[in-house]
Amino acid sequence: MAALGRAALLLSFGLVVYALVAGSVAAWKRRRRLAASAQNALIAAFGTTVVAAAVLWTALARHDFSFVYVAQHTSRTLPLGYRLAAFWSGQEGSLLLWLLILTGYSALAVWLHRFTRDLMAWVVPVLAGVSTFFVFMLVFVSSPFMSAPAPADGAGMVPSLQNPYMLAHPPMLYLGYVGLTIPFAFAMGALLSRRTDERWIVMTRRWTLAAWTFLGVGQLLGAHWAYVEIGWGGYYAWDPVENAALMPWLAATAFLHSVMIQEKRGMLKVWNMVLVALAFCLSIFGTFLTRSGVISSIHSFSQSPLGAWFLGFIAICVVFSVGLIYLRLPLLRSRTKLESLVSREATFLYNNLLLVALCLTILWGVMYPLVTQAVRGETRSVSKPYYDFFLHTFGLPLLLLMGIGPLVAWRRASLRALGRTFIVPAVAAVVTGVALIVLGYGSSTPGLLAYTFGAFVAASIVLEFVRGTRARRSLSGGSWPGALAELVARNRRRYGGYIVHASILMLAIGVAGSSAYQTVRERGLRPGQSMEIAGYTLTYERLQQRQEANAIATRAVVDVSRGGSHVTTLYPGKNSYPVEQQVSNEVSIYHDPRNLGDLFTIADQIDPKSQTLFLKVLVKPLVNVLWAAGFVFVFGSLVTLWPDAVEQRRLAARYAADTVAA
Amino acid sequence: MIALSVAAVLAIFIVYTAVAGAGTPQLQPSDLARYPRGDVMLVGKVVGPVTGDSHAAVGKHFVLRDVTGHTSTRVDVVYKGTVPDLFRVGREVVVEGTLRNGTFVAKPGTLSTKCPSKYAPAPAKNT
Repeated sequence: MAALGRAALLLSFGLVVYALVAGSVAAWKRRRRLAASAQNALIAAFGTTVVAAAVLWTALARHDFSFVYVAQHTSRTLPLGYRLAAFWSGQEGSLLLWLLILTGYSALAVWLHRFTRDLMAWVVPVLAGVSTFFVFMLVFVSSPFMSAPAPADGAGMVPSLQNPYMLAHPPMLYLGYVGLTIPFAFAMGALLSRRTDERWIVMTRRWTLAAWTFLGVGQLLGAHWAYVEIGWGGYYAWDPVENAALMPWLAATAFLHSVMIQEKRGMLKVWNMVLVALAFCLSIFGTFLTRSGVISSIHSFSQSPLGAWFLGFIAICVVFSVGLIYLRLPLLRSRTKLESLVSREATFLYNNLLLVALCLTILWGVMYPLVTQAVRGETRSVSKPYYDFFLHTFGLPLLLLMGIGPLVAWRRASLRALGRTFIVPAVAAVVTGVALIVLGYGSSTPGLLAYTFGAFVAASIVLEFVRGTRARRSLSGGSWPGALAELVARNRRRYGGYIVHASILMLAIGVAGSSAYQTVRERGLRPGQSMEIAGYTLTYERLQQRQEANAIATRAVVDVSRGGSHVTTLYPGKNSYPVEQQVSNEVSIYHDPRNLGDLFTIADQIDPKSQTLFLKVLVKPLVNVLWAAGFVFVFGSLVTLWPDAVEQRRLAARYAADTVAA
Repeated sequence: MIALSVAAVLAIFIVYTAVAGAGTPQLQPSDLARYPRGDVMLVGKVVGPVTGDSHAAVGKHFVLRDVTGHTSTRVDVVYKGTVPDLFRVGREVVVEGTLRNGTFVAKPGTLSTKCPSKYAPAPAKNT
């Protein structure tokens, strides 16, 4: 069966190389039939990659340990769900997942935009070029179809990966990372075909939004996974691997905002090209980081030969995109200029600068050990204080701009109009700030600023919805909920965006609450002993043990009470995995509806002989607002992504002439 | 204007990293002698013996060697605080602290074990 997988990948390689060469010739020589043939080859490559993926999944499901990959990442006791998820738990399999998504996206993009021939003629070779790199890696450098005599059992999966989040977090991230290839390919296609109007942006808006949403959801899932599984009470550690996903997301966020300026005002054409190339290159850079082992991380990655290949590919992408943008600069001149520093487009520009600055400071932090090694001959690294400083420096103004931007008029806004617009949000912000200080929450300046700015943003979003709903109701009558639903349905992009803003605000509230105002206590306990934290009393009762499918679970029974009343019973403990010969922390959490936070317990150390427990407890206010933000984020993104017939008719009319001409 | 603004912003963090947060040196045991004072991040492989209790006054004691294993240098480490689940002899760890009288005194709670997660397969036992 491994031979079938190898043959399918080899076929994929042939097809994408053909799509690259034939597509380039067809676009260069304007040969329509050859271009169609290249498109078909790219679609067919998806089919052959599906076959390769099916072979690997079948081997994983059937415990076929003659596949080296299956033997290295699964065992006979590993449940089916995790065996299937092992597809992306190893280097070779995750590369195959990347290729599967890339060829799938490419086939869909080619089919959806098949009538935009002039642009697609160049998009196809770009997509094929990127695909060629990944199939090359799978065929010649890191194949998931290596075979060997089958061992009796496999090595199993790392315990920390044996979590339901393993089923969703990596694929979500990959859907996001790979999705950024599509806008990049269209941008490069637009430059190559000299069609540098807004059409490529309009065509890829949903692609970018979808990739950005997947990347955002993937990161939130990863954060929640770390929170509930790793057992340190945090959700983000500024680790290079985490930063690898955050950087392209920030660049894509900037891009999603700046394209609006190009669509509305015809400005920032060069900037948008740079951003889309930056987002794509950072997505590849993230993959390079996790596979090269060049950066020290709490995640350990094998020192594989893949790093050099990825570095070479990144260099090609950077040189290609920068060179192409430079060559096409005359075509990228803006039609209009910024008329005022107090305007909607100016606030979007400030937003862009802050996002890119934050992205680049994170990149600098990630690269710092390499830079210091190269310059000073010694490796130095920056840690949480560095990242926190820049998160506060750039993130807090970004939060405020999220409330200001939507309220400012396009082109030019008068100070008097601004005063009228901002009065309600400003009052809300001041009242919130004063109330927090009075209530004793002024100890953390970043926390105080985050909540004050947050109140401003919340008020501005509510104000926008109230104004819009009132106007809609006065036009068409009906109930308030009906008018609100109609308002959102008729302006999905705008109000979907506001919902996403609300989710980012919730994220900021959750992060500020759970980090700036958290309480931590730890203590060694014997059965019957108690400890106090933030009004809770935790009493350690006893240890209990049970056999699970592939682990022995030891749990401490901890009674939680408040003011003498029983609240809940928590079971922090550890799982011991005999096959993998590893132990994992199993935290136990009480979600407190009073402060929307968590009482988070970690059995730091358990001694079954003496029955002693070293218990670490964290009280994290508002942390559940952070997780709830994920649902609002997805809802807002779906509203924005949902097809809009009115918009599509408008765009169809706008580009009808171009399409006919092509 | 964009270029100037980006340049200004970049200047802020370059100044910050150059002046305020010049980073913490990442060293292996064989490099430690060059930094007899000051905080460093020590990266090494646990060779044992591992004794003591990280939650007791004596702390947990273990020995680290270079990850690459090219030198014979060993350093004694004393650590208090949370010990990651994956900590054991043979694992690669990172810990922050200072060298005092030949012993690396770690800051509490700074010990992290490299997570053998994705892309780093465990060796098969039954081949």
